[in-house]
Order: sequence, then C-alpha cells, then structure tokens
Amino acid sequence: DALLPAPQNISIISTNMKHFLTWSPVSIQGETVRYSVEFQGEYERDYANESWIPICECSLITVTVCNITEDISATVPYNLRVRADTGSRRSEWGTLKGFFNRITTYLTPPLMKIIVDGYHLLVELEDLGPAFQFCVLYWKKGQESRMQQKMVKEISSTLHLDTMEAGTEYCVKAQTYVEAINRSSNFSEMQCVRAQG
Amino acid sequence: KLFHFGPCRISMSMNEIRAGFAAIKDNIQGRDPIRTVSILSHPHSLHKIKSSEKCCIIHHLFNFYVDKVFKYCTTEDSYVNRKISSIANSFLSIKRNLAPCHNQNMCKCGQESTEKFKQILTNYRGLNVTSAAMKSLGELDILLDWMEKSR
Repeated sequence: DALLPAPQNISIISTNMKHFLTWSPVSIQGETVRYSVEFQGEYERDYANESWIPICECSLITVTVCNITEDISATVPYNLRVRADTGSRRSEWGTLKGFFNRITTYLTPPLMKIIVDGYHLLVELEDLGPAFQFCVLYWKKGQESRMQQKMVKEISSTLHLDTMEAGTEYCVKAQTYVEAINRSSNFSEMQCVRAQG
Repeated sequence: KLFHFGPCRISMSMNEIRAGFAAIKDNIQGRDPIRTVSILSHPHSLHKIKSSEKCCIIHHLFNFYVDKVFKYCTTEDSYVNRKISSIANSFLSIKRNLAPCHNQNMCKCGQESTEKFKQILTNYRGLNVTSAAMKSLGELDILLDWMEKSR
C-alpha cells in the first residue's frame, strides 16, 4: 500500500505558556485519518540517542490540534512531529520546521477589573495559572511620578491596593511576569476610578 | 528565585522540577528495592558541604544526573517517561545558567567536595547501572531540598 501523505503546515500556537501543535488535515476518500504526535527535547537530542517521546493524549486522534503544554516544561528547544494513520496505511513523520522554545510564547496583557468598595481600591486579576506573577501599578491621576507597585505571586482573590482619599481619581495598570522564562507582558490598558465624596 | 552556590548566583525556578518529580516519585522509588544504600547521602549528607564548595558539587551533580541517571531510567510507563524528560530538560536549562559562573573558574573544587563527589560515584558504581540510576532519580528530592537551602 502506498504511504499516506505526511501532515503539512505543522505549526505552534503558544499564548501565555499554553502551547498547541496544529497541522493541516490529510484527506483520504472514504477513510478516517488519525494522527499521532511525538516530541523531542534538547536532552533527548543530545543525551538520549535522539529519541522521541509519544504524547499519549495525542495518539491516534482525529482532530488536527494537540495540547503539548504539559510536555514543553523546560526552557530548551524542542522538536515536534506528527504522522497520519488510517489503520491500514501510515504516513512518514511530518516535523515542525525549526525548534520550539517556550521562551517565545506570546504574553498577553492581563485582564483586570477595578473595584471601588467604599474608600477601598481593589483589583481582580485574570488567573493564568501557577507560572504567572503580576506587577500592578497604581497612582493618583496626575501624580504619575508617585506611582506605587504591588507584586502578586499567586492569584487568590481580590487584591487590595489602597485606601483612597475622598473625591480623588486613581489609575491602575498591570502586567504579567513569568519566572520560568524571565519575561513580562505589556501593560494592560490603564483604568481610572474616582473615590466617592 | 535567586540561588547562591558559593560564589555563583543563579536565578532559576524549581517549581516545575519539583512538580515533575512529585508526580512520579512514588513510582520511581517503588522500583528501588534496595533500601539500605543511598547514592547521595552515604556516608555523609550533602548538607555537610561548605558553602564555598557548593558550586563545585552542584556542577558535578548536574552532570552526573544528565550523563549517568536520566537516560538509564526509561520505563514502560509513557507518563513516567514524559515526566523524566521534563526534569532532564529542565536540568539542561539550569546547567546552562550555571555554565557562565563555572567557566569563569569561580567554582573551586576543594578536598571536601571532591571527596564527596567521588563517594557518590562509588555508591553509584556499587550497583548495576539501571538500579543505580533509578535509585539516584528516586533521591532527587534530597538534591532539590539541598539546593533550596541555598536560596
């Protein structure tokens, strides 16, 4: 039997330390095509005979996307490959062009919700997972030079920023920081609120 | 987080290695029937090493795990193998962080760390390769605990 064509257009979509491998479907008239994914870290390449490790959650799947986040868990270059399979026939491996290193993940500015509770200035931040810390900057409008900062290591609940002066407007912005790759996102859009009174 | 190994200071995150090891610790230690011998702690604990010599021993230990441990720990369990890969690749990343300081000859190996590492190799060679590698991997938390004390 002729080989199946190998999957094409293999690429990575990586946002906020969540990494997905995607590829174009292989179409065979009248047959269900399944796919299997394997990865190879720098360790496997340089110290373990260039071995490949299967991702069992993406073995013989019918969708053309695989969540590889769990396995891309070191800041080193990884190789990734995928092949097609109809049960009776199988393709060659299609390999991602170039390495993938999670240091290139796209970090989005965090979603942020400012809450005024009486004279208390609070902020709720998007929970992006344990890899993320947050830097929150806040200041009285017009007094940018006296900006204050709070580092948030773990998202728990609402963060208390300050006790506001009556009638004063306060502004807030935030960015994420990922220690594992030593990178920060851009700041979110500034949001301002006015204290009562 | 900042770690001080003698004269060497490196910033790194241990969370993922810790999480990876915690996920397979029982499985790995369950494969090690020899309870009377330790690779890292016999006869003396790592904690006895002088601060100034920490850099030397950590350098040797990372090479030890990369060269002599991970590759001999392949199991029939795909999940375990993936976690070992995660730890091994994280070790490579940390080794790279350690390299600049080591290459600047700031990592002096005194008699104590030399003797200690020699003992570790002797302990390792006292078993067959697979048993020694599996035991060494099972003792990873000893190394991680010792490293965390260097913060």
